[in-house]
Formats: sequence, C-alpha cells, structure tokens
Amino acid sequence: MNAPTAAFAPEHDSTHPDTTAMATQTTLLNPRFYTTDFDEMDAIDVTPVRADWDKLIAQMKSDPNKGHFKKTADWDQIDWDGMEPGLRAEFIDFLVSSCTAEFSGCVLYKEMKRRGNNPDICELFSYMSRDEARHAGFINDALREAGIAVNLGFLTKAKKYTYFRPKFIYYATYLSEKIGYARYITIFRHLEAHPEHRFHPIFKWFREWCNDEFSHGEAFALLMRTDPRLTSGVNVWWIKFFLTAVYSTMWVRDHARPEFHKALGVDIAWYDQEVFRKTSAIARQIFPIEIDIDHPRWIPTLERLERAFVDMDAARQRGGIGGAVGRIVAGARAGLAFAGLYTIPARRNTPPASVRLEPSY
Amino acid sequence: MGLFSRRREEVPCTVEVSHRFESLHAHVRFNNGAVVHPGDEVLVHGAPVMASYGQVVVEDRTATITRASLLERLWTRATGDFEFMELCEFSFSEEVTL
Repeated sequence: MNAPTAAFAPEHDSTHPDTTAMATQTTLLNPRFYTTDFDEMDAIDVTPVRADWDKLIAQMKSDPNKGHFKKTADWDQIDWDGMEPGLRAEFIDFLVSSCTAEFSGCVLYKEMKRRGNNPDICELFSYMSRDEARHAGFINDALREAGIAVNLGFLTKAKKYTYFRPKFIYYATYLSEKIGYARYITIFRHLEAHPEHRFHPIFKWFREWCNDEFSHGEAFALLMRTDPRLTSGVNVWWIKFFLTAVYSTMWVRDHARPEFHKALGVDIAWYDQEVFRKTSAIARQIFPIEIDIDHPRWIPTLERLERAFVDMDAARQRGGIGGAVGRIVAGARAGLAFAGLYTIPARRNTPPASVRLEPSY
Repeated sequence: MGLFSRRREEVPCTVEVSHRFESLHAHVRFNNGAVVHPGDEVLVHGAPVMASYGQVVVEDRTATITRASLLERLWTRATGDFEFMELCEFSFSEEVTL
C-alpha cells in the first residue's frame, strides 16, 4: 500500500515554552484529498432502512461522546523523557498514524458533506466529520505532551485530488471503522485485566472512543443495505479484496512495533487474530463472506508477507542498483504472498434481515 | 479538456484551520463554487496557514486549480481506489521498520 508521509523534522517551537524541557519536533500532517462520484452518492435512497437510519442519525445528533474527550484527573502525567527510546519512537508513530487516519477521515467526510445534495447523506457525514476532528484533536494533545507539534501547513502545498468510487468508500470506510473499533476495544479490555501495562492514559479513553467508530460503521452498513448489488455478484470479490488488504496491512504494521506491543503485554499475533475475529463477527451483519483466519495457510502466508515487506524496506535503505533489484524481488514476493492470502477460500455467511448491531465486546 | 493538455484557473477560496483541543481540522472551500475532479491539483497561494495551538484561523486566499488532462483523469479514476488504506489507523506512517 502507499505511504502517507509524516515527515519528522526537528524544529524549535517558540509558542510553547512549557515544553522546553524536550526538544520539540514538528510532524507534518499530509492527508490525501479525495473526490468521488457525487451524483451517484446523491442518488442513494435510505428508504429501505429508514427506521434504523433515523434512529442512528438521532443518536449521532445527540452526540453522546461530547463530554468524553476531556482530560480529567484520570489523565496521568507521563515521563516522556524517561520512556525507553524504542518504545517512545513506536508509540509516537502509533499516535501520529492514528492522528493522520482520524484527520484524513475528517477531510474525506467533510468533502462528502459539502459536495453532496442528499440531506440524509450530508447529515451523516457532518456528524462523522465532527467526531473524527475531535479524535484528531485529542490525539494531537497527547502528541503535544510528548513534544511533537503537528504542522497543518499542508494546505499551501500542491495537492492532487485522487478518486474513490462510492462503493469503495463504503467498503473501505466500513472496514476501517469496524476494525478500528475492534482494535481499540481489544486493547481496552486487555488493559482492564492488566492495568500494570497501561503505560499511557490515552488507553483509558478507548472504550467510549471506539463507540464512535462503531456507529460510523453502522451507518455504512445501512448504506450498503440500500442496494443489494453492493454485496453480491462481482462485488463479493471486491469485498474479499478489501478484507484481505486491510487485515494483511494491519499484520505487517503491527509487527513493525514490537516494543509498543511488548509494553502493552500483548502478543502481536494473538492480538491481530483477536481483532480479525471480532471484525469478522461484526461484518457478518452485511458481508456475505468472511476471511478464513483459521485456515492453515493464513498465518504462514502473513508471515511471508511481513518478511517480504521488511526486506523491501531494507533494500530501499540500501539504495543503488542492488537495492533496486532487492526491492523488485521483495515486491514480487509480497505480491505472491498477497495472492496466496486472497486465494484462501472464504467462509460464506447469510447476513441477517436486520442490519443494526450494538457494541458488545 | 485535452487529452494531454492541462488548464489552470485561479479561484478565490476560504481556508479554515482549527488547531484546538476540541477539533483538529483543515479545509479549503472554493468561494465561486468551483468543483475539483479526479487528478486535478490545488495550490493555495501565500504563506502556510499556521494556527498555533488553541487557535482557529479563517482566511480568504486565492487558489490555482490545475485541471488534469483527460488521460490523467482516467488514470486517477482507475487507480485512486487503492489509496484507501490511509483511512486505517494502522496505515503506513513512513517506514515498515521504525
């Protein structure tokens, strides 16, 4: 997949003398800009799911998490300077990529809201954009405490608008919201049982936080239910593609953060499988298939994919002709491994008549 | 729209950057209703819009929209779908190994 750039460049931050104890770094948020087929989105008719839709929108409108994202006495002070450097680097990377994801969601949803003409869709996107901006602000504050300043200067750099077909927006955002929920709640429950591993207070906020992700996912599930073609025929192959891509990316990324997971007291393979299991169980509400994560080829192929990515990265750092050849070879290995994952036979499900779910983990 | 040629247009726009605890966001709105299409490039003129912590900055600026050629537009439509991974919280921040 591609790399949204989060460029770290040491820079003095004169506006916050309170952080002088630490050398302040600046990280440039660099989200992508999207456009889509707005006429197609305007043509969505939520009539078939109207009752569920209105209930969900009313809940989002009431903004149940409005008071949640505040720092209370539960927000413990962190000795960032005393943190083991490997853990610090990985944890900051975790916060920056989380912030970038929330921020990108915010930009995408806001664009949908502004360009659309369908009142149902516009209202949904305005609430989701609100939530994502709030999450991004909360993570940004945690980064500030670590001496990382977020630079929003990207607006005055040339930005190319990329394109997302509406149906891919549904698959991708549905999955990213639901897997986000599964990731947050799995960490939260783990730390509830093992509070000694809670090395930062932000994890205490994950339970209510992930309920936002959950309800965003619900909205996309309802949207997909308005048109049966979105979850049948050739689109089932697209759904399988998105599932495979999201799961395997998560595996590769999480394995690049060994210190972070060690500090949490979490075995990465266990954690990822647990998140896949929860996501797959939730996605039965709308997807007619799920990935067979217990298949004998699943984990060995993920491990091959991860090794290929590590080698590709090493080749890139090596540079030169040898590096270029190494990247091609590793890239081919990654492609083969991905194909190996994609061809694992999927399990079939029959989604229930009613889509709606409540968070239950 | 030409197969290879690009066109530029200057449009007035409003930039809003919020760098607050409650909300971290940044948006550009074209004041004349201009619409961007796949592959178009947008450049907001002037110095970077910098909101210091706790601030919301709203400024009127000018932007140049460089319209994609027909080929670029088709290419972006065909390939853009695969950039979705950025929306995931575990998306690649920079390197595979830190």
